Amino acid sequence: MRFFDCNCFIGLPSNAIPRPVATADELLARMDRAGIERALVWHVAQKDYGVPTGNRLLAQAIAGHRDRLTGCWAIMPNQMGELPEPEEFCANMAEAGVRALAAFPRPHNYVLRRESCGPILEAMVARRIPLILPVTSAVGWDAAYALLAEFPDLVCILGNVNTWGTVRFVFPLLEKYAHVCLDISEYILDGGIEAVAERCGARRMLFGTAFPSRPHGGMMLALKHAEISARDRQAVAAGNLERLLREEDL
Amino acid sequence: MKTGTPIRPGSKTAAEFWRTGRSRTCPVYNMHAHLGDFPSMYVPRADPAGLVHSMDVAGVRMSCFAHRADTMPELGTVPTIEAVRAFPDRLRAYLWVNPHYPDLVARELAEFDGLRDVFVGLKVHPDSHEVPLTDERYRRALEFAEERGLMVLSHTYDGSKFNGPEQVRRTLEKYTSIRFLMGHSLKINWHEAAAVARDHPHAYLELTGVLGQWGAVDILCEEAGSDRMLFGTDLPIYGNHQGIGHLLSADITDKDIHSICHRNAEKLLREAGVRV
Repeated sequence: MRFFDCNCFIGLPSNAIPRPVATADELLARMDRAGIERALVWHVAQKDYGVPTGNRLLAQAIAGHRDRLTGCWAIMPNQMGELPEPEEFCANMAEAGVRALAAFPRPHNYVLRRESCGPILEAMVARRIPLILPVTSAVGWDAAYALLAEFPDLVCILGNVNTWGTVRFVFPLLEKYAHVCLDISEYILDGGIEAVAERCGARRMLFGTAFPSRPHGGMMLALKHAEISARDRQAVAAGNLERLLREEDL
Repeated sequence: MKTGTPIRPGSKTAAEFWRTGRSRTCPVYNMHAHLGDFPSMYVPRADPAGLVHSMDVAGVRMSCFAHRADTMPELGTVPTIEAVRAFPDRLRAYLWVNPHYPDLVARELAEFDGLRDVFVGLKVHPDSHEVPLTDERYRRALEFAEERGLMVLSHTYDGSKFNGPEQVRRTLEKYTSIRFLMGHSLKINWHEAAAVARDHPHAYLELTGVLGQWGAVDILCEEAGSDRMLFGTDLPIYGNHQGIGHLLSADITDKDIHSICHRNAEKLLREAGVRV
């Protein structure tokens, strides 16, 4: 199986975790050990320090590793001009090897909706740029539901969905919005992969690890032996994320 | 990219799990499982047959579970007894004590000795019942376990006033004959959990919710020793394979993995009279 991890980060978090991974080289060494070919990676400074600086650090970190590491930048409201306007921002993304965006409205003190982030969200819908929502820690389910009601065509990856009692939050969004996918890094429910595959289709799941908060191996082994077809397993492991990035028009 | 056995290169055990989903040489005992309804979530495999199916595909030889029905006066232990007796080689139960219903507890404890084919110990969840582990309302059950040297699986979390480090330590000091399974190992204060295990030879570190934090298993292993650690996942809430995969990711030895997956559990279950 080929694995393309949709959720991992580098950098030293403000609040320590047992084994942070400071650099892209360290991340790649652990990916080698685990047998993970590619990863969509963000930098913890995007959340803990500041979006513009974090985005720059991420671009620098992956610059020599673009064959295996694809970048994920962060967005935020831009009324104060802290980021380039969408056209330039997207051009910068393409140049830096960044293919997805994430939002952290709770720790960054804003409401993720049209009034605050309309221009970049509209650009994302038009260009089919995936938005990663770390729901539990940084967004909240009410906000995720409201955002998708406002932007139903947004390509959205639900991440950090929490390990406990996820189904009743996730399935309504998977059912209602065709472009919503689930990062399975925290979706460790026994039989959970099979349940999504059966009711919504395996194309709605993306292999993720949340490394280095979480180990690489858990969801690798769970997916390897999930009771779905081999073709679906491979799609979740890498193909679905590759498809999303292929469909993107940066 | 280098290629080798995924997750844990060079490990025959990992290679077996990767290839077939289970290991012939490393059986697994899931020492923290449940049955029953879960009001806060949908659980696809919450029935005994579903539980055993999940065990089969991951090479889990036996699971020790606590049934939520035990804590409900309207339901009692009948669902637990039926589940174990339907799968006597695969399942054993902890009697789940509800400190709010002393009459129910008294009745269930009175039946316990006649149900040793079903029960191997007690389960307590002080956080959910909002009664400290050290409270008088748990005394009768803990004394019962102490007299018999039973396993007691307790939910334990750092920062809790019901089952935090202080309550755990006081309980371990008072009851020295029980085998105290620290469910979740005082998540997320791994250093304190290891210290508690070092200070109390009858304390065991149960790994539900621990396995998902990279580096936690390594800390517990280094500071308390793998002979004090037990595999568990809250099955059927959290799956076996994710737990095994997380464990295989730890930078510990294959010998440690064998201790955690089966050797320690086999010892405890033999002491409880289970043929393993």
